[in-house]
Amino acid sequence: MELVIDKVSMRFKDKKAVSNISLKLTPGVWRLLGANVAGKTTLMRIIAGILKPTSGQVLYDGVPIRTLGEEYRALFGYLPQEFGFPQEFTVKDYLIYVAALKGMTKRQGRKRIHELLEQVSLLEVRNRKIARLSGGMKRRVGIAQALLNDPEVLVLDEPTGGLDPGERVRFRNLLSEFVHDRIVLISTHIVPDVEYIAGCHAMIREGKLLASGTTEELVRLVEGKVWTCTVPAQAVAEYERRLRIVSLRNEHDGSVSVRYLAKKPCNDHSAAAVSRLEDLYLWMFPQSGGADRKKSSRKQAVSGNL
Amino acid sequence: MKILQMELRRMMKTRLTWGLLALALLLSALLAYLPVTYCYSSYTDEEGNEIHLSGLKSIAHEKERQANASGIVTPERVREAVETYQACLAAYGVTESYDLPEGVYEREILPIVPLLHGVKEAFADPDTGMAPALMEIDPERIDDYDSVCEARIAALMALEQPDHPAVQRKAAEMYRQVERPFKVYPGMSSVIMDYQNIMGFLVLLFCVVIAAPVFSADYQSGADDILRCTRHGRRRLGVAKVLAALLVSGVSFVLCAAVYILIADSLFGWECLRTSVQMMYSIVTLADLDVGGLQFLFTAAGLLSVLASVSFTLFLSAGCKSTVASLSSALVFGILPVVVSMAVPGALSTWLCCVLPASGTSIQASILYAITDFQFLNLGGLAVWTPYAMIGTCVVEIPLFSFLAVWSYCGHAGK
Repeated sequence: MELVIDKVSMRFKDKKAVSNISLKLTPGVWRLLGANVAGKTTLMRIIAGILKPTSGQVLYDGVPIRTLGEEYRALFGYLPQEFGFPQEFTVKDYLIYVAALKGMTKRQGRKRIHELLEQVSLLEVRNRKIARLSGGMKRRVGIAQALLNDPEVLVLDEPTGGLDPGERVRFRNLLSEFVHDRIVLISTHIVPDVEYIAGCHAMIREGKLLASGTTEELVRLVEGKVWTCTVPAQAVAEYERRLRIVSLRNEHDGSVSVRYLAKKPCNDHSAAAVSRLEDLYLWMFPQSGGADRKKSSRKQAVSGNL
Repeated sequence: MKILQMELRRMMKTRLTWGLLALALLLSALLAYLPVTYCYSSYTDEEGNEIHLSGLKSIAHEKERQANASGIVTPERVREAVETYQACLAAYGVTESYDLPEGVYEREILPIVPLLHGVKEAFADPDTGMAPALMEIDPERIDDYDSVCEARIAALMALEQPDHPAVQRKAAEMYRQVERPFKVYPGMSSVIMDYQNIMGFLVLLFCVVIAAPVFSADYQSGADDILRCTRHGRRRLGVAKVLAALLVSGVSFVLCAAVYILIADSLFGWECLRTSVQMMYSIVTLADLDVGGLQFLFTAAGLLSVLASVSFTLFLSAGCKSTVASLSSALVFGILPVVVSMAVPGALSTWLCCVLPASGTSIQASILYAITDFQFLNLGGLAVWTPYAMIGTCVVEIPLFSFLAVWSYCGHAGK
């Protein structure tokens, strides 16, 4: 089982959202990484068959998904980044409706709906109108509908947005149980959500694929570029200006431990650190993640929370 | 089938659908009763008291007074009625019935009024179309009433369509096919049909409002992205949505029409349905129908028009990204025939009204008025009577726009 994205490009009027991306997705959890407006959602919508690429194609087991049509959609599950529900439905009615559209029998549908409602903790609100649910609950309904038909290919665009930490843990566990022998493609900015279950990653920027591979393969790209050092608290601002800071941690003696990215150490007392996925992300997307991260890191460091 | 059931359930769950359907039924009942409130008559009783009647009492009174006029309208009976009329006016030395002394009209003329319908029109001047007064008509000429009427339709068509001999021939041919002698059963007026027209127009607008968000609401809310990624979320869902909307609209229209007809006909009398349309509208009306047939044909054509409008609305809905856009554009097209019939002159108006899907029940341009009018579309040497053109257009438009709606939905690229 494989899903091949073959030289896919997508242009919207004068803007190229996806540029000649080729990627082979095999069973396992794939994480699609990229800053905002990188083209992740567009690529996912192409994989979902919602958008027709300007050029290139997506193939499932060697057959274009457009040729497979209904067959492909029968084994496909999708959670969009932004989505809505028909206002008139209760949670249960909506899932019954989607189950019918997914070609499930009434019996299959009811059984699976009950299981999923339990797994996403929505059993108690199953008869409530979706319009009256909180944002987190709505997203869980979205997750449940995506999993209804036990899809072989599951595409989740920012699935954890709006979920509280407990819900995120439950989602992670649910996904861990589900992923066996399936292709799961997830786009999320929240690294810990899939850090332990995503075996492979694809990084895109401005519509172009920068890198792809397993966690180990990708982390190797920043090997020798991650450093740590301890600096006086008053020097942190200077370091933030000069370096790409990954994290800051206040030490008991008033100094600050700095983890940063650089081709060479910035001082003599810097030591090489073991690279992680987060380092890679900041290395690949310095503008998007860096600026926000610097601000939050600094705040946390100053308040002693790190 | 299962998806259609789900879609029907979904549609029937929305408050908008229920609210509008309930309102449509209520309005149908109200509109059916409304013409009764306009019925008014008065007479002088044996003791010389003037009695005023309204509503159902007035209808019953007039029916009773005109009971002898009901039945087959033979030339002899028409001639007799004209002679009675002329003798009555001559006896009182007047030339118009409104100059008669109080109570005489109700006593002498009212009972024969149904038989006098269309006589003046039949004897209209062939060159000017001006109708003479009943006093000016030679009763002997009524013996050949059918020929007078046929000469009248020929003269009328020559006046209205001087450049289209094919239309003139077609109209004359159609009129020859009309069953004669006519029949008349007093009690019902054309107002009943006018109100049925208003009812149809309102139900059509309600159906358009129900159908307008069918596709666009899901686009707008983002629900569509999920649905179209499911196994049956493209063509089958599109077809189910179209069928559900057509079913809901069709059933609603039939229900409302049934309520209207049941109430109106019960109030005015079912026997009135046997009246020839020529005895309610123009004496030279081309349709070979009685009022019951007209009511049925108008309902059937109205249903086709509602279905054509709904399928066109669904096509618009499948192409619009917001409910406001789909609703406003659908309403514009729903009302357009009214505007066209008022503002667009000549043949263009006739053509547009035949093509626009909402024309069938439109105010002023509906199929009811087309049936009782003398408009033809000229296609080269071919003359097509506008009711046929309107019905034919709807029959083509329903599958065409339904197909286009599904096609547009399947090809809809997301936001």
